[in-house]
Amino acid sequence: MSNAPSPAALAAVVAEPLEKGTSLWHDAWLRLRKNRLAVFGMWALGIIAVACLLGPFVSPYGYEDQNLDLGAVGPSGKHWLGTDTLGRDLLVRLLYGGRVSIAVGLSATLVALTIGVVYGAVAGFFGGKRDAFMMRTVDIMYSLPFPIFVILLMVFFGRNIILLFVAIGAVEWLTMARIVRSQVMAVKKMEFIEAARSLGFGRRRIIFRHILPNILGPIIVYTTLTIPAVMLLEAFLSFLGLGVQPPMSSWGVLIKDGAEKMEEFWWLLVFPGTIFSLTLFSLNFLGDGLRDALDVRSSKD
Amino acid sequence: MTAARELARRFRPRSGNPGHPPRGRQPRAAVSRLLSPVTCLLSALLFFTGCPQRETAVQRGNRDQILHRSLGYDVVDLDPHLVTGIAEGEVMRALFEGLVAEDPENLHPVPGMAERWDVSADGLVYTFHLRADAKWSNGTPVTAADFVASYRRILTPSLAADYANMLYILQGAEAYHKGANKDFSHVGVSAVDPRTLRLVLEHPASYFLALLVNPPWRPVPIAVLEQHGRSDQRGNAWTRPERIVTNGPFVLKKWTPNQVMIVEKSATYWDAAKVRLKAVHFYPMDSRDAEERAFRAGQLHITDAVPVAKIAAYRRDSPHLLRIDPYLATEFLRLNTQRAPFTDPRIRRAFAMAIDRESLMKALGGQVKPAHAFTPPDTAGYTPAARIETNVAAARALLKEAGYEGGRGLPVIEFLYPNSENVRVMAEALQEMWRRELGVEVRLINQDLKVTFAARRSGDFQMMRSNWIGDYLDPATFLDIFRGDSGNNYTGWSNSSYDAALFAAARTIDPAARRELLQKAEALLLEAVPIIPIYYYTHVFLKQPSVQGWHPTLLDHHPYKHVWLEN
Repeated sequence: MSNAPSPAALAAVVAEPLEKGTSLWHDAWLRLRKNRLAVFGMWALGIIAVACLLGPFVSPYGYEDQNLDLGAVGPSGKHWLGTDTLGRDLLVRLLYGGRVSIAVGLSATLVALTIGVVYGAVAGFFGGKRDAFMMRTVDIMYSLPFPIFVILLMVFFGRNIILLFVAIGAVEWLTMARIVRSQVMAVKKMEFIEAARSLGFGRRRIIFRHILPNILGPIIVYTTLTIPAVMLLEAFLSFLGLGVQPPMSSWGVLIKDGAEKMEEFWWLLVFPGTIFSLTLFSLNFLGDGLRDALDVRSSKD
Repeated sequence: MTAARELARRFRPRSGNPGHPPRGRQPRAAVSRLLSPVTCLLSALLFFTGCPQRETAVQRGNRDQILHRSLGYDVVDLDPHLVTGIAEGEVMRALFEGLVAEDPENLHPVPGMAERWDVSADGLVYTFHLRADAKWSNGTPVTAADFVASYRRILTPSLAADYANMLYILQGAEAYHKGANKDFSHVGVSAVDPRTLRLVLEHPASYFLALLVNPPWRPVPIAVLEQHGRSDQRGNAWTRPERIVTNGPFVLKKWTPNQVMIVEKSATYWDAAKVRLKAVHFYPMDSRDAEERAFRAGQLHITDAVPVAKIAAYRRDSPHLLRIDPYLATEFLRLNTQRAPFTDPRIRRAFAMAIDRESLMKALGGQVKPAHAFTPPDTAGYTPAARIETNVAAARALLKEAGYEGGRGLPVIEFLYPNSENVRVMAEALQEMWRRELGVEVRLINQDLKVTFAARRSGDFQMMRSNWIGDYLDPATFLDIFRGDSGNNYTGWSNSSYDAALFAAARTIDPAARRELLQKAEALLLEAVPIIPIYYYTHVFLKQPSVQGWHPTLLDHHPYKHVWLEN
């Protein structure tokens, strides 16, 4: 055991008081932490996600285990959130449903994010006729009613849950593309892009290495706002019977079921509704908080 | 109502859940008793948004004798020779009248277009004497020639009427319909004079008069049809409100698809003095919940059904609004015996035996009875002796014998059912029973009713939810549909012994011997299991106390002629 400090550690100690700079990301994090609603949203989301992931392993019930003799009973020691009309435990169905809803939310958003960012960045960077053509295409797709478009996709490609993700993602990227385009158009006129051009960098490198990192703020913010929109869309599709198929559950399915029976079995609507609203609120709070933290200019408006 | 009435969205009742406290359901009376503030809020929202102080449609209707009722779906057509559904049957009952009509309480045949009839001693020749004042709504008399022309039309092969086989009981009708004989004079229908019609039967049938009330037996105004196209082909648009000519107690006034159909009292009807209702308004409603809300808001006198989850509350809080009537109908699954894996009778049997019907009844409410055979018990004195018992061990053994031990190797089975919440409950329960007991995976496919009908017609399904409502009070109305030549079979199954037993039963007069033959047929059906019986119906619906003359009848027929409203 030696007490002698290593040269490297020594250097660090010396350097620290001299230059304690904070990155832009760290600043944003500090601003975000001051926003109580956003912090609450983060905690709530974390707890719900962990519960949905791990809860079903702990529960003695499966999401498809029925007990027809029991039927629908209210919350009790055995079934914390009660059971549905087929005697299935509501808590475990809520957790499994959460997995589906969150998975749809994340993966569809990922699809939307990828398409939207690339499309918008290309359109914004090149401008001119190419931009006009690409954005008019987006306008046309905007004019299609979203749910009907998704329903058509589902009818054509069948009721596969993976396809549900893709279908939703495929209609959610339009707004993202517009936002990214406008940001790119603003950034591409700035001096550091001029510098990159004069250094002879290729277009691809300029778009992805220089422009995109500088508009990450709005992208992240819009992403957190897309997730709840997508979850709502999934709930809506399941509500229409086009989403996940029985016996699988999702929050949309549970809420639909609960809405039909709320006058008799209130717990079937109240618990799924509460969890779903809580998740959506949390995501929106977090999104708002992130916007304020990352994009200081707009937060002052 | 007519033949094969595939009941679209009848609701199975749900019994009360004895374990939990009463919760208000007729909000005005029960708000104070609501336990949960959330329920209270939601109920209040639902109720008060739909309940202004002004006079409701029901109150106005009670004053003016206008009956408002809902139908499970929108009427497809109004041609009595082409319609098949239950909603169409309701409207037919108001618009057209056959040779005989029905007594509103026991449905026994009473004089209709015919004021009396004679039956020959051997039960083969029926002579109907039409009334002098029998008129079409355009004022021309209804004659025997009209009936001859109508029966000729429905039996014409080019019309392809689904229920033409209901007339096969007439001598020579089957040969004419199948094209074996092109001369209609060989069919046992003849007009002796303008007011005398003679029908000759293939074999005596005690239920023949009851058969005559069904739409395929009602007359159509051939002269009117000819004005708008060919009468012996589909696609003739003579049933539009401005064109249609009818002979029943009501005439069609207005038909707005998916909204409302209005029929008004006919001035030319022979018994118009006895018709008390001024009009009937039919509203097509797909959603049971919307229907129930409309009823609660005073928009409907009578609903088609009740949401399963709400029956218990109605029983508790407003039993005077809830009606639970007997109903001659069976819920069952059709298996496609032409498509793997249900080509193997052992697999069909295994699926049928793995169902715990008694438990299932709890999920569906206490109002329906488990069906271990196809024909409902005590149908005109006949109760099937053969049964499909629940025996999970035997079901597993059968599946193992077929080469799929524990469900291994069996492909995913698709279960097709029409969009309906009440059917979904049953489908999910069955899916779980098959998964748990047999280890087989069943995928639930819900489709629009019309899509399921198309799949049924083209045989593009493995397993589908079905139901059958009796057309007349006799077991033959059930067993006949699985004859090899029946247009309603749809399972691909046919068995010559089965057909022979039914053929012989139709020609047997001694009731005991006839029942024996029917038992034999039913046993053959349940042995081969092209269908899986699930439960026998009761009809649960909501009715305002002001509706009078709405008697419980096994076939759910309620002649509007005998219905009236009273405050």
